[in-house]
Amino acid sequence: MTWLSRLIPGAHPPAQLTPEVRARLDAWRKLPATALDRQHVETRYVVVNTEASGLDLSKDRLLSVAAMAIENGLINPKLALYQSLEPDPADALTGLLEFIGSSPIVVFNAAFNKRVLLNAMERVLDVEPELHSVDLYWLLPGLFAERSQGASKLTEWMNALRIETFQRHHALGDGYAIAQLFLATQARARILGHATAQALIELEHARERLNRPL
Amino acid sequence: MTTATESLVGASTDFLKRFSPFDQMETEALDYLSERVLLGYFSKGATILSAEMGQPRYFYIIQRGKVQASQSGDVALTEYASMTLGPGECFPIGAISAGRPSTNTYMALEDSFCFQLPADDFITLMRISPVFQVFCTQYIASLLSQSRQQLQNTFSQRAAEQQTMTTPLSELIKRDPISVTPETSTRNALEKMDELHIGCMVVADADARPVGILTQGDLLSRIVLPAFDLNRPISDVMTPSPQVLPMTATAYDAALEMATHARRHLLVVDSDDKLRGVVSERDLFSLQRIGLRQIRASIESADDIESLRHASRDIRQLALNLIAQGIGAEQLTRFISALNDALTRRIITLELGRHELFGVQFCWLAFGSEGRHEQTLSTDQDNGIIFSAPEGEREATKQKLLAFAKDANDALAACGFPLCKGNIMASNPELCLTLEEWKRRFGAWIREPDPQALLNASIFFDFRVLFGSEKIGDQLRRWLLETARGNSTFLRMMAHNALAVAPPLGRFRDFVVEDDGMIDLKKSGARLFVDVARILSLRSGVEASSTVGRLRQSGQRANMAEEELNAITDGFHFIQLLRLRSQHLDTEHDAPGDNKVDPDTLNELDRRILKEAFRQARKLQLRLKLDYQL
Repeated sequence: MTWLSRLIPGAHPPAQLTPEVRARLDAWRKLPATALDRQHVETRYVVVNTEASGLDLSKDRLLSVAAMAIENGLINPKLALYQSLEPDPADALTGLLEFIGSSPIVVFNAAFNKRVLLNAMERVLDVEPELHSVDLYWLLPGLFAERSQGASKLTEWMNALRIETFQRHHALGDGYAIAQLFLATQARARILGHATAQALIELEHARERLNRPL
Repeated sequence: MTTATESLVGASTDFLKRFSPFDQMETEALDYLSERVLLGYFSKGATILSAEMGQPRYFYIIQRGKVQASQSGDVALTEYASMTLGPGECFPIGAISAGRPSTNTYMALEDSFCFQLPADDFITLMRISPVFQVFCTQYIASLLSQSRQQLQNTFSQRAAEQQTMTTPLSELIKRDPISVTPETSTRNALEKMDELHIGCMVVADADARPVGILTQGDLLSRIVLPAFDLNRPISDVMTPSPQVLPMTATAYDAALEMATHARRHLLVVDSDDKLRGVVSERDLFSLQRIGLRQIRASIESADDIESLRHASRDIRQLALNLIAQGIGAEQLTRFISALNDALTRRIITLELGRHELFGVQFCWLAFGSEGRHEQTLSTDQDNGIIFSAPEGEREATKQKLLAFAKDANDALAACGFPLCKGNIMASNPELCLTLEEWKRRFGAWIREPDPQALLNASIFFDFRVLFGSEKIGDQLRRWLLETARGNSTFLRMMAHNALAVAPPLGRFRDFVVEDDGMIDLKKSGARLFVDVARILSLRSGVEASSTVGRLRQSGQRANMAEEELNAITDGFHFIQLLRLRSQHLDTEHDAPGDNKVDPDTLNELDRRILKEAFRQARKLQLRLKLDYQL
């Protein structure tokens, strides 16, 4: 939770949260931090993907969220979550936070996906969680340079790495594709010496800076 | 289950359903599988599973990509033993069901995704899904035939090459080269060929370098029919620039050259291109039949027991050489059986010469393993006689036959076939019977199948005519098949007996061993196949007396799949081969160690195949169990 929001009254109407949700959020806050210097197989990652009413952050709303945990470098269908925000956005988002725990999250295109999620959390739960995140949008071109052929969209990467999913343009369906991309990412990163979450985060930041328009 | 899990499981199900055996799997079992598979990824070149990793933790189903399976261990086998698996294919089946390290190394040939089912769940899946169970066991059957083929390829290549085909030509040349100069008259050259009994004449120049060749095959078309003038020089009629090979070339090179150019003779030259000898097709051919023909010839020409004893020892020696060369059990037993038959026939012929049996109609029967053509090197005699004689002369004829049989039995014993401890021998008055008497005896066992009758049936019903009138034997066989077929109680009792011994497969360990740490390959190996095969043949009226013949023919009548039958017979052959291998030349017949094998001394591949062979026996027994509801 940002202290800044508290200092600017009126910027955020106080969230109307039930005691039950508050208690869950408190429990979530108390979770121990995840070490980011462990090998990928020892690190629990959570692939997070969103579905919004559109692509305009200023007016479009988050509709549903999907998440999949990657443990031991494997996708386990039992460790998956898909939740519409309606009818109970606070419950849905708290559930997502609980599912994520303190694991680093994996997204494709954080600029939108992470932002729309954080916006919703701030609005609904009045929290702006500090989530460690890995953005495949930035990582893939560096790790799979020879296959990228200018790929940047999810569809393009799916084609480049011959990845399929059961349903496109659906938070979970795309999330499954992102999870598979992440398995490939982990394996490739390990070969190239980026063996930990921290290393991935640093790699991503380096790529991001490199590509930032001056 | 959450909706998310449902969607992901559904995706896995949709994928799996595209492949056998999952497409035929029971819905419940498929759900079980889809709910439990994890998805993993392997970069190109990554090792997914290997022997060093110990017991496999997962069963893998390839979702995307390619995986190469290659046999670990013995380097010689490696190149024969690799295969590529693609989407929908699974591994490792044998290792994970047995809970032992994989003998294969699995490597991603390209970036690959695999579904991974935890080992415990795999075992459960086998249990709850008959379809999956069948798939796994049949896969093993195909593996067995693959491994066996690899083993045989390796062995037979190595054996053939070492023994024969890699022999350098310098060692094959039998005599100094004979040649004539190009100016020699054709008449002289032909006279020389005739005089020396050679099939071809080499024409060489003054420096002994070959310039041409004339073979017997050329004579008709070049000399006789065109009425060639024999005073003309041989250079006018020879084939110029003959095919030559260096001394260091191998028999294999020579065979290849002959096959390619349709030549029957090749000239061998030294490094100076000088003629050193001639190799004929026959020289190469005889290499491959060394031993066998000689022994056979010596048996057929033997005129006393002493020479037959030598032949018998030669058979043993040759059998052991062939085992050492890795020849397959099927060929090996067939060959032992053929030579032993020849030997026995020769003994009978010799004994007949010493007994006055002219005009007596009889046939000599072999029972038990000899009757099935499945003799190992350690088999005692089991034989009998069927004869026919007019009413009044029956007893007198029988006495004459018994006296003859007694000598024959003793002669066989002298030649290395020990007398039967249970007195199952033609010299036993109980076993020298007329056709009617045999029918009565067989009939009594079938009608009243007490334990002794069943034991007798298991020996005597495997009879085969070894000498004399096949017709009498055929009559007995047809009568037996008709009688047994109609008696389901008897067959059921036989089945019950056949199931009394289970294959020595362990639930936790690979094998169940006896107190001495050994497996009895006869009692708890070969016999399992033999007993079931006998029942199947009696039930379906198959006349074959060999186990493999019975299994094949009755299996075909029961519409068993060809591959399934192959796997079963391969399993049987492998056990027979191990039995033969464990029988040593230096031990006498029926030495205590015979038929026993210590599984710990087998190499990994043999162990694996032996296990699969036992599994085939178990399948066969299971079939019988189901058929008779036992």
